[in-house]
Amino acid sequence: MSDIKINESKQVEDNAEEKEEEKDWAAAKAFFENLKTNKPRPPKPKNAVTIAVSSRTLFNMVAERLIYETEGVESYVAYQVEHENEPLKPGAAFPFVKALMTVNARLRALYPDGEELFDIVLMTNNHAQVGVRLINSINHYGTLAFGFMQNCADLLTIMNFFSDLTIERFCMTGGKSPIGYLKAYMTNLYLSKDAEKVTEAIDEGIAAATMFMPDTENDLCDNQLRVAFDGDAVLFSDESEIIVKQSGLDSFFEHEKKFENKPLAQGPLKCFLEALGKLQRKFYAKNERLDCPIRTFLVTARSAASSGARVLKTLRSWGLEIDEALFLAGAPKGPLLQKIKPHIYFDDQMFHIEGAKELGTISAHVPYGIGQKYHKGKLIEQPKKE
Amino acid sequence: MVSTIANVDVMQKDADKALVVAISCSAVLEDADDGDVYAAGAAFALLQALKSVNRQLVAANPDESLLFDVLLVTTDERRRRQSARIVSSTKHYGLEVSRFCFSGQEDFVECLLENQAQLFLSTEPEEVALASQRGVLSALLGHQTWSSPSEQLRVLLCGDDVVATFTPATQRFWSQLGALRGRFGVLDSPVSVSVMTAHGGRQHFGAILAGLRSRGLKADEAHCLAGAPRGPILEVLRPHFLLGDLAWLP
Repeated sequence: MSDIKINESKQVEDNAEEKEEEKDWAAAKAFFENLKTNKPRPPKPKNAVTIAVSSRTLFNMVAERLIYETEGVESYVAYQVEHENEPLKPGAAFPFVKALMTVNARLRALYPDGEELFDIVLMTNNHAQVGVRLINSINHYGTLAFGFMQNCADLLTIMNFFSDLTIERFCMTGGKSPIGYLKAYMTNLYLSKDAEKVTEAIDEGIAAATMFMPDTENDLCDNQLRVAFDGDAVLFSDESEIIVKQSGLDSFFEHEKKFENKPLAQGPLKCFLEALGKLQRKFYAKNERLDCPIRTFLVTARSAASSGARVLKTLRSWGLEIDEALFLAGAPKGPLLQKIKPHIYFDDQMFHIEGAKELGTISAHVPYGIGQKYHKGKLIEQPKKE
Repeated sequence: MVSTIANVDVMQKDADKALVVAISCSAVLEDADDGDVYAAGAAFALLQALKSVNRQLVAANPDESLLFDVLLVTTDERRRRQSARIVSSTKHYGLEVSRFCFSGQEDFVECLLENQAQLFLSTEPEEVALASQRGVLSALLGHQTWSSPSEQLRVLLCGDDVVATFTPATQRFWSQLGALRGRFGVLDSPVSVSVMTAHGGRQHFGAILAGLRSRGLKADEAHCLAGAPRGPILEVLRPHFLLGDLAWLP
């Protein structure tokens, strides 16, 4: 009898919370509709694909980071406040975020009332005082866009530029780890420069990667979001990689052939690929497949002949599509990625990340699986834990 | 009639310089089934946090006068008559209450005004409304606040009109809290001030942060929800109390 009562009162509580949520949502909608600028309002988080970016991935804060490391947090905060009207330069995730805005503009044109959009949250453990400089910097890039819009006659260009850097959600934790907030903000993908935080996020089941600035700059596409993924230990689990590392390539090929029809287990970035696919289908539904502003790539060291089939069959069994699958059969990934020019490339092995970086690809390391214990094929000596 | 007595076990603060926080007795001490001692109520953890902040303020500067000055206020007849039990329960738990105010439903607000309370906290919405009407900054405890024990005092200022609806009472509180917060460094502070906007976007959020700063309050943590559901975020933030727009009160 008391169980039923407990369930009932939880129901009442949940209903009350839902009502509150709806009120908040309606108020936010009204706020944006009443703005004099035609700024697009952010989507409803539960329908959106939420990308949480850290301040150091969105902006280049290398100099500021140095102050933090050499002079401590007080000097760092003071410096940021002193310079808060100086916009920061773009960071590794900046082109990716801009490309997300481009996709949003196209989605809004096709589905004016849709909530299935990309949503960006600036998720940082910086203090709110540092946050003022971050907000000012984002405003700076928005203003540039607005100024351009007034001079530009091309409607599509106006749409694309006006959706520049529409970041309206912020989480500044004032020093504590943002990991606790990732789920609260319904994060689908978390990008940071801090490998520890990224590992924590992956352990919590959230797709995450550590971003690296490339050594050179490639010209990126400005009307299509291009995302490249490694296969094993990124989209798929590291089960096959374990076999390579522990038993060698021949065992690996045998195993993959034998289990060709058994789908691999999923990896940490599978859900993000799934989210991209969901948005791609919205374009296909409106006959825009050929002009889809999202393109996905699989860039794997597997070879098409021997171990590639299992990968494609696994994707099919998940109901996921990937636009281009590139099997390198062990060849270096750098040159190929340089041709693809993705806005972001996910790989679990630092060796490949470094190779990609050198040739101008924006890479994101996924610290997952057995690959973390190896470097260039050799087992890394783990320091003895105290 | 209202009577205020000092708690002899606790060092008295200079009410002119301290931050006087009045808390409704029923929020701190709940009826217990047995014995002479009350059970710990919803505001218990808050009191522990206030005590911890005071301790660290004095450790940093023994002559510090900007401390939390806690006033325990009874707001009903029944408790007004239980003064001895209230005082002994306070002593039992080692609560840092400077003064007790034994008043009832009709006159507890007089008590707040006489004692220069800058903030009044209660679990009863009617009490919060009454005090607010008379110009005392008040907040409701319980709905979106947490009572789990914590070393750090966490205050959340929420709402989109928070700067526009500033009153002199609000201003004074925020300047003092800001000054108190300023006694500690950026990290590991025993008091953390968070700001949250629910509906507005980035520009509005930036304006609020700047507006608060110009009024003496530098936020540590800040959230701009722009319509995102606040429940899950509050569960991580776990403020001891919230201040802000009426929209946030249940």
